[in-house]
Amino acid sequence: MNPQRDRMLESNPFVDVATHLFLEDIADKQGAAGLNNYLMSLATNLAKSMPKEEYLSWDEFLDALRVGNSIITAFEEVFTPTPNCLVTKRSPFERGWIEYSKRVGAFSKIHREVADYYNATVKPTAINSLHIIHQTFRAAAAERITVNGKPVMYAQIATVWTDGEKKIAPEEWLPVLLQKAGITHTQLNMLLRNNADVWILYQD
Amino acid sequence: MLDVALVALIRDMSEKAGVDGTIQYWTRVGENLAKRIGKEAYMGWPSFNVAFREGRTGFSIEGDAMPLTDLAITDVDGDVVGYIYAMKQCCFVPTILRVRYSVGELPRADRAVAEEYNNTIHDIAVCNFCVIHEKFREEVAKNITIGGQQLDALLLATRGYTGETKISEKNLKKIGMNPDQVRALLRNYECVYSILMKGAKLKEEEK
Repeated sequence: MNPQRDRMLESNPFVDVATHLFLEDIADKQGAAGLNNYLMSLATNLAKSMPKEEYLSWDEFLDALRVGNSIITAFEEVFTPTPNCLVTKRSPFERGWIEYSKRVGAFSKIHREVADYYNATVKPTAINSLHIIHQTFRAAAAERITVNGKPVMYAQIATVWTDGEKKIAPEEWLPVLLQKAGITHTQLNMLLRNNADVWILYQD
Repeated sequence: MLDVALVALIRDMSEKAGVDGTIQYWTRVGENLAKRIGKEAYMGWPSFNVAFREGRTGFSIEGDAMPLTDLAITDVDGDVVGYIYAMKQCCFVPTILRVRYSVGELPRADRAVAEEYNNTIHDIAVCNFCVIHEKFREEVAKNITIGGQQLDALLLATRGYTGETKISEKNLKKIGMNPDQVRALLRNYECVYSILMKGAKLKEEEK
């Protein structure tokens, strides 16, 4: 990472807060289902607008992930407790949410309602609208990456929102996900205490 | 990340709704944001300008801006009815740079939206986000009173990421400001606007 560039790139709340309201405007017209489709297409479009990547080895890929050189970690700082498990320290949406709470007030209910819709129709891993964007983006970005000529796959294990609320993948999915991640349930809970996301990247 | 995703959407939005549709969207975003911020009241210009400098007004969400208190706007009677305000850095520059370093380049629709806005609404936009700014400030101003009087905001000049500048002759005339004066301000600031009493009897309007 380039500290000088990072400082230059520090986000301004105006854009994030305005975007939240833009999404609420869409929900007013199209409801939770329409907003969900919109968020998913927003994230997919973003991933598709970024260049494809190829790595010769998983180690090379892990290095790129850790320093934010891969498209999939371009917006978040991660560490990798195991070769397949990724942990996001802070949600890239945290600042926008905090500024929204400060400048506008309580987060509109629609952000949670659309997550309920997503959880019921896509996969039960989102707490609010921002997780729909984030998780869809990761899945779409993973599709653009190959390691040693083979595609990379993504799955979400758990999410923690800025206020501490947690959403963990369903019990019946956990054994497989934890096995792929190479961590135990206790280690997962340890990671969830002070991080934002636990997810995996793997190959068949 | 949200901002970069939104930029990626501009192309899609402009293809589906047209560049004029994107302008309508952005205008509504600016309007909605301002309406949600709420009302404010100040006793006089000094208290408003202190609040502005300390980032306590509705305008502050845009980022670091400052009142240029040496540049007062006066009415026909010579009373102070407003001031010039300026931002050192446009709040969209970090987004533009993030797009540059994550996606590669801004979508061409950004330019198309700005040009459409300049041709049809107000020749002041240096990027598509200027559309949100102008509406946002106009609406925030409506929610603020100084000494019981509602405010108005006029966008005067902008300088884009690439150095392109736009100066609003129309708004400068209204407040009786010389374009050279604002051009000098653009050396140090990226966005210059005025906040003034709504309905103030300005020199230009008296003519």
